[in-house]
Amino acid sequence: MIEVNGLVKRFDGFTALDGTSVTVPAGSVYGLVGPNGAGKSTLIRHLTGIYRQDAGAVRIGGEDVWENAGLKARVGVIPDDWYYFSQSTIRDMCRFYRGLYPGFSMERYERLKEVFAIDERRAIRRLSKGMQKQAAFWLVLSCMPDYLVLDEPVDGLDPVMRRQVWSLVMGDVSQRGTTVLVSSHNLRELEDVCDHVGIMDRGRVLLERSLAQLQDNMVKLQVVFQDGVTEVPEDLPVLHVSKTGRIHTLIMRMNAEEATAKLAAYSPLLVDAVPLTLEEIFIYELGGADYAVKDIVL
Amino acid sequence: MSWEVRTMRSKTSYFNRTLFLKNLTRFWPLWGGATFIGILLPLAMLTRLLRQDSHLGVETALDMTEVYYSTLCAAVPFVCLLYGALCALAVWSYLYSARSVGLMHTLPVRREGLFVTNFLSGLTMLLIPFAVTGALCVLISAAFGLFEPVGLLVTILGVLGESFFYFSSATLAAFITGNVFAMPALYLLLHFLEAVLDLLLSSFAAGFIFGLSSQYTGVLEFLSPTVYLVRNVMPSLEYREVTNYAGEHIRNELVSARVENVWIIAVYALAGVVLLAFAFTLYRRRQSERAGEVVAVGWMRPFFRFGLAGLAALLGGQLIYSLFWDDGYCKAVPMAVCMLVAGTIGYYAASMLLARTLRVFQKSWKGLALVAAGIVIVCGCLRLDVFRVADRVPEISQVRAVEFYVDNNTYTFYPGEEDALLERVRAVHAAIAADRDYIQAFDGDNPTNPTALADQEVSWTRAYPSFTYITNGGQRVCRTYRVPLTRERLGQSDTYDGLLNDLLNSQEMRLKRLHASGDSLRPTGGSIYLNRRSEGHDLSDREAAAILEAVTRDALAGRWGQVDWLDSQGRRSGGTYAMDLNLEFRAEVQQRDLVSRDWIDIRVRPEMTATTACLLELGLVTNEDLVTRAELYPEEYRSSAAADPAPAETVYPETTFETVVVGVAG
Repeated sequence: MIEVNGLVKRFDGFTALDGTSVTVPAGSVYGLVGPNGAGKSTLIRHLTGIYRQDAGAVRIGGEDVWENAGLKARVGVIPDDWYYFSQSTIRDMCRFYRGLYPGFSMERYERLKEVFAIDERRAIRRLSKGMQKQAAFWLVLSCMPDYLVLDEPVDGLDPVMRRQVWSLVMGDVSQRGTTVLVSSHNLRELEDVCDHVGIMDRGRVLLERSLAQLQDNMVKLQVVFQDGVTEVPEDLPVLHVSKTGRIHTLIMRMNAEEATAKLAAYSPLLVDAVPLTLEEIFIYELGGADYAVKDIVL
Repeated sequence: MSWEVRTMRSKTSYFNRTLFLKNLTRFWPLWGGATFIGILLPLAMLTRLLRQDSHLGVETALDMTEVYYSTLCAAVPFVCLLYGALCALAVWSYLYSARSVGLMHTLPVRREGLFVTNFLSGLTMLLIPFAVTGALCVLISAAFGLFEPVGLLVTILGVLGESFFYFSSATLAAFITGNVFAMPALYLLLHFLEAVLDLLLSSFAAGFIFGLSSQYTGVLEFLSPTVYLVRNVMPSLEYREVTNYAGEHIRNELVSARVENVWIIAVYALAGVVLLAFAFTLYRRRQSERAGEVVAVGWMRPFFRFGLAGLAALLGGQLIYSLFWDDGYCKAVPMAVCMLVAGTIGYYAASMLLARTLRVFQKSWKGLALVAAGIVIVCGCLRLDVFRVADRVPEISQVRAVEFYVDNNTYTFYPGEEDALLERVRAVHAAIAADRDYIQAFDGDNPTNPTALADQEVSWTRAYPSFTYITNGGQRVCRTYRVPLTRERLGQSDTYDGLLNDLLNSQEMRLKRLHASGDSLRPTGGSIYLNRRSEGHDLSDREAAAILEAVTRDALAGRWGQVDWLDSQGRRSGGTYAMDLNLEFRAEVQQRDLVSRDWIDIRVRPEMTATTACLLELGLVTNEDLVTRAELYPEEYRSSAAADPAPAETVYPETTFETVVVGVAG
């Protein structure tokens, strides 16, 4: 379990994290989403022991992360911009990781060689961005981590390799109970792999639920009102409204049954509940936090 | 290769072998290149030994020790200074980029482990070239029967001590900064800041305070380790003269070699431990997010900002001022303006570097106001001389030695031995200090020295007396003046001109000029050049002692040593013999802060019968060589001889002590 409570981090007066709290259940895949500058990478740097918090607690498996070498040996990290020694090959980095991570498995490393078809004797700096990312996965997964912290992990990978990588990660989750926290802007992809989601904005986690709860808590309804009703009644608690012809599309923060019951009072001609995608939830939740998509005419 | 899962070494391990080896393998070009350069020295020695090259000068084990000691004292500090910085830059470079610091700090190694491992790997990289070079030297010296263990051990300990100190200081610099370019700049600044500040402050204060010397004082020189080590830790070598059966010199043979003040290296090594502890403390508190910043330690940022402003004000202010004014003493307001301009540039440059933006003007004006206030206060205090520095003439009871330098001669006095004479020196000093307004006004009216045609006399001249008091606490109080001496005032015993003239022409001072009144300087040699023959000859210590004794007899008889201030053109030298006689002196017991070497040019005149007889007796001159310059060069001296025939027994500038060298050993 990964727990962050009341985390505060300031950089020269700028508050990057303002009382952030996150709970990642053991064995789950937690998607951390949020707009640019929300504080996701800063949070991840606390989880991996790079930054020291100004206030609050950062714990993994019940232990404080800061200066906890034993714990860090069980945490695999793939940052957005993975660092390798400039002259190193994958083989060199393998030796380095192997000497530092007690759980490093050469057996797995050799098996993954078939998955990541990269010449391990080639200097990493000569590999493409996507291949460097594959190398990072290859090495980190070979460390057999109990916790995986990933920051934009599949950025730069081709669609096939993305599936391959997620397959490996999900395999670890199911077989070894690995706990995964992944930060990404690719919500479509997160929707497929995450079972928990946290939405961050301005250094705070706005909401944090399982994906099922999240989808259950918000509903998209397509409604056709009776003749003469051109606007959505004002007393309906809607987050967002759009209209195409006579069809109104309403986003409401409640489950489908409650929403249908509330609409029944207006005797609509048609009510159809449509499930929301994570992307829509993200957009509408942040819309309430003044981060809506703006119709800007250039 | 084992494929088993390895177990972690230790959660709280202070050393990580993997990281250590990784550093060595990553940076092998650095230590490999240094080792290659290092081994060129023993290889060169080997080939020259095989060729029996006599210029090598290594014939005995002691000669080899001399090579070790010379290297340790003259080369190792500079090698450690530069190469140590490179090694530190290599192992701590991960601190300067967000990516690399991210990797290193996510590794399952505590900060302690990273610190110790990286430090040890850097130090190893620093020592490998020394070790390989030293080992080869030992092998070669052993093969040629030149092995000497004591010298080798002292050298090894010295190299270890200096390497540790320099690498520790480079490590501290690495942790203060967060930028790969700032680190070497800061490192060099830390190592030479004291010396630079000493020079800048001395020159700045001397621009305001009458008589204050602008020379480097070295009061806190130990804070500039390289300067201090090179100036204080040095080989002390003793030679024995080897002569043939006729007593003629064949060669000098080294009979003992040791390193003076070698303990200083040990003290610096201990200081290295303190610097290292400080660096470790900074690392524990260091914020990884500071990677890339010029100053990574928050509380040091004001020091950097105001320090750079102050340094820029001192250096730039004086440079700008010197572009517009070149008079002796500074004008306070223009100097303050120049300093403010330079200080402002320094202040905003520092602010921009710290903020990593050019937009710093709005927020930092308060700091600039502080800089301006500081400049005004400093210039005001110096202009008004609020501490009365210019008037200070230490009492005899407050000093343990006094050095008085004037007319190219140095005189050393010790309280309790020549108090009456010393009191006269102090009186001259006090009179000069009291006549500040007159001297400065005279300088303003007469910025250049007087010149006279051959048939004219000057009515005034300039002297450059300097007073150095070594206080009982070891402090050096130095005052240097540029004072006019006028014909009129030279005859007035209540003026500094008259006091100085009376003092220098006293019998006691003539003898002191020859170091014949009990100081520790003894004649060690010299030279004589005969213009008629165009031949020169080096004097042995015995010849020099005999000549000195003869000159002393002439001085006691009043035939040598009179100072004529107004004969600065040397017009009367036509009456001297056409020869250049020079004697060298060296201190028997070297004293810190006092001159240890001196030399004197003696103009031999026909009336110096004792000296002339001595030169003839030693066979250095013949009667044919005893022609005066006026006789040898009649064209050159014709007009001056007609205009000013030399008086029989009056003023003749006869002697000159040349450059004063302080602290030269061996």
